[in-house]
Amino acid sequence: MEAHHLLREKRTSEIEAILAKYPPERKRSAIMPLLYLAQEEYGYCSPEAMREVAEILDLDPTEVKSIVGFYTMFFEHPVGKYVIDVCDDLPCALRGADQFVSHCERKLGIRAGQTTPDGKFTLRTVMCIAACDRAPVIQVNRVYHYDMTEEAFDRLVDALANENGTGEAPNEQKQGLDVL
Amino acid sequence: MAELVNLTIDGISVRVPKGTLVVDAAKSVGIDIPVFCYHPKLKPVGMCRMCLVDIGTPKIDPATRQVVRDEKGQPVIVFGPKLTTACTTPVSEGMVVRTATEQVRAAREDVLEFLLASHPLDCPICDKGGECPLQNLTMAHGPTVSRFDYDLKFHNDKHVPLGDLIFLDRERCIQCGRCVRFQSEIADDPVLQFHDRGRGMEIVTFSDPPFDSYFGGNTTDICPVGALTTADFRFKARPWELKTTPSLCTHCAVGCNLALNTRLETKTGGYEIKRVMPRQNEQVNEIWICDKGRYVHHFTRAEDRLHYPLIRQDGKLVETTWEQALRIAADRLERPSAILVGDRIANEDAFLIAQFAKAIGAALEQRPALPAHYADVARAVGIGSDADFKQLGAGDVILVVNGDVEEEAPVWFLRLRQAVVDRGAKLIVAHHRSTKMHRYAAAIHRYEVGQAAKWAASQRADWLQGARNVLIVFGDEHLDGSSARALAQTLANWLILGGFAGKPNSGLLPLYPHANTQGVFDMLEHATRPANETTDTLWLVGVGADEPAPRANFIIVQDILLTERAKRADLVLPALSFAEREGTFTSGDRRVQRFYRALPPLGEAKPDWWIVQEIARRFELPWRYEAPAQIFAAIAQQVPRYAELSYERISRVEPQWPPMGREDLYYGGTVYDNTGGLGARYAADAERSALSPYDVHVPEPTLAGLERTPRLLYRDGELIRRSAVLRAHIVAEPLTA
Repeated sequence: MEAHHLLREKRTSEIEAILAKYPPERKRSAIMPLLYLAQEEYGYCSPEAMREVAEILDLDPTEVKSIVGFYTMFFEHPVGKYVIDVCDDLPCALRGADQFVSHCERKLGIRAGQTTPDGKFTLRTVMCIAACDRAPVIQVNRVYHYDMTEEAFDRLVDALANENGTGEAPNEQKQGLDVL
Repeated sequence: MAELVNLTIDGISVRVPKGTLVVDAAKSVGIDIPVFCYHPKLKPVGMCRMCLVDIGTPKIDPATRQVVRDEKGQPVIVFGPKLTTACTTPVSEGMVVRTATEQVRAAREDVLEFLLASHPLDCPICDKGGECPLQNLTMAHGPTVSRFDYDLKFHNDKHVPLGDLIFLDRERCIQCGRCVRFQSEIADDPVLQFHDRGRGMEIVTFSDPPFDSYFGGNTTDICPVGALTTADFRFKARPWELKTTPSLCTHCAVGCNLALNTRLETKTGGYEIKRVMPRQNEQVNEIWICDKGRYVHHFTRAEDRLHYPLIRQDGKLVETTWEQALRIAADRLERPSAILVGDRIANEDAFLIAQFAKAIGAALEQRPALPAHYADVARAVGIGSDADFKQLGAGDVILVVNGDVEEEAPVWFLRLRQAVVDRGAKLIVAHHRSTKMHRYAAAIHRYEVGQAAKWAASQRADWLQGARNVLIVFGDEHLDGSSARALAQTLANWLILGGFAGKPNSGLLPLYPHANTQGVFDMLEHATRPANETTDTLWLVGVGADEPAPRANFIIVQDILLTERAKRADLVLPALSFAEREGTFTSGDRRVQRFYRALPPLGEAKPDWWIVQEIARRFELPWRYEAPAQIFAAIAQQVPRYAELSYERISRVEPQWPPMGREDLYYGGTVYDNTGGLGARYAADAERSALSPYDVHVPEPTLAGLERTPRLLYRDGELIRRSAVLRAHIVAEPLTA
């Protein structure tokens, strides 16, 4: 099998820092942090990235693929620069999430699950993301935006479409979540 | 003896060892709790919910920690508010299990309704149809009608190749994970996993190469639906058309018990093996076999099977009669002769050949020749006749020297790995290259290729001290005869000097090349005489094409196929394969087992013992054997180690745990019940009397051993070449690294 070294070359110290958190005989526990790192580097968990993570952790590539497949926040296919997750679970639905999703689709010109042709936005519907008290709620690249309205969504998308920044949205109600 | 626990299941009192799961405790008293994901050989996961039962435990007074009793003095039983999975719940003292309540019945019906909602119900074209746990359990416990519109059925990919040997039907899969767990827990080749979740959950492989495990075929046996099928059997036959005959695998020293599934074919005008399945023998292969044993059977009906005797006339081989062939063979064997005997022939054949060679004064050698250099040592200090792989665990040491267990004896690899990984035996590996066993080793020794005997001689024998048992597995890869013997003797001395020789679960376990290497050695032992340059007539009985043979003026080849060797012969005698006759093999751990006739004879081909006897009769040897059973009786009389054995004894069966086959098809998978006999080991010499250590001379290794190709599972050979499904897997190149 051909070896993949890209991640190890580019993110050497971060990989070492992650591995250092786990006992050597349990290093498979580092699978999720390494996948986040790979996703950060490549934008998604590419086949090459999954194989490289498997090599780093002495796992079979199928075991890595299985983890990526289980968790919705790992992407197996390329996604837009901004991944917009709209919750349409029960509390959000009671606050009009279904209608809101339709609006998002119209605004972006794509269906949920698709990416805009310019590669800027991916729209997904997701299960509960634990902010029911401020429904409807969305996440843009893991940053929460609460009490969403159609107008707020349009403002947000327009702002993101016009800037070349970091994925930080111009919304005072956002809140970060550091998964690493 | 393990601590016992008392409980009641459906009013029946049950007493089982602590730790037993409720599902197994019920099975032990004949109560079948239906299961899909549970398999007695795999760790329970409680995923399918089919085994839900009502479980109650005695009420305990929190203050006194005593069981609360009612006015009649009976313990008050508290049942849970919901049903519990019987496959994940261990028994406890005083537990009361109810498997036949209305609540349980309704739960089973509901679970089946959920499973069937996503199931295509294409049983009429499904290979599992007829032996399918989902079919059986639906008949027994399922709803009689579906509340779902058939046209709205969930559909998914069919015929997904997971490798070239196994196909997945995604819509038949019920996500029980038996295949995933088998590959992770048993084969340690986790190339199958779940992907996604909920409705989207499916089995995937992302490995490179994909699903190409030596044990992959077993996943199709334990798959409780028709989701996994083998490239070899899919769409070939319906299970109810198949006749089942107990047999043995001939391809390595383990002696796996097989069931040959045959069917009458109009196309070819005779019976054919449609499928090879494992036959349960908990002492040998449990319920597993390797893929070589499963798929290599096609040689039995290869186009170039020999049907008639052939004689060379004007440079070409032409058909002749047995009468003429036997007369010519007998005439030629009057001259100085040598007989070479392969190690796949039955004990009965080898015994007669040895008697014959002695009678006419012919040279006699075993092929491959290497094991004959150490088979006496392996036998003398072999594992005990009551040895049980399941007993190996904490406190025991398993030493693997110069052997690649997964390649040379795949099912022993499974058993030894479990002893180490699951039960805590200490593994020490010594080899000139890396093997899969290295993964589990507590200590690893390395030496130069061919230097195993020198390495062993340099070790101190006292390093095994303190072990409860010491099992030493060894191979002859890249060794010459004297080195292999020196290695076996050195290892034997460790056991003798350490006080392990003769203990049941201690001893040598040799990685012989074929199914009857030990048996042929035992039969030939006292008649063996090396061939020399005076050989006029050479008779080769089942000898591989790459085995060296002395020069001769006239060559008789006795084989089942028109091999490269047969093509160059002067006289070719057609023999029946193991599937068309009966006989016995002696495995590498000295278990003598029977195989039975599954196919009718092919053309005029004859069993090897018949051919030998007919030639011998032309030398006026008074043999009138009608069947292998009679020859085996003679073996028992004349070969001392076989004295306690008889067809009657080795054909004996007794109930095995876990129960497999018969009505338990749905509990364990499509493995076959053992009706052909569990076999019996003859005693190692060390069990009869104390042995003195060998006087070992370690030679300088010669090149003779280095030239030999390692014994990889899929190494090239006359038999594997005739199995189209395995052709892509054949390894022709020697392994170097």
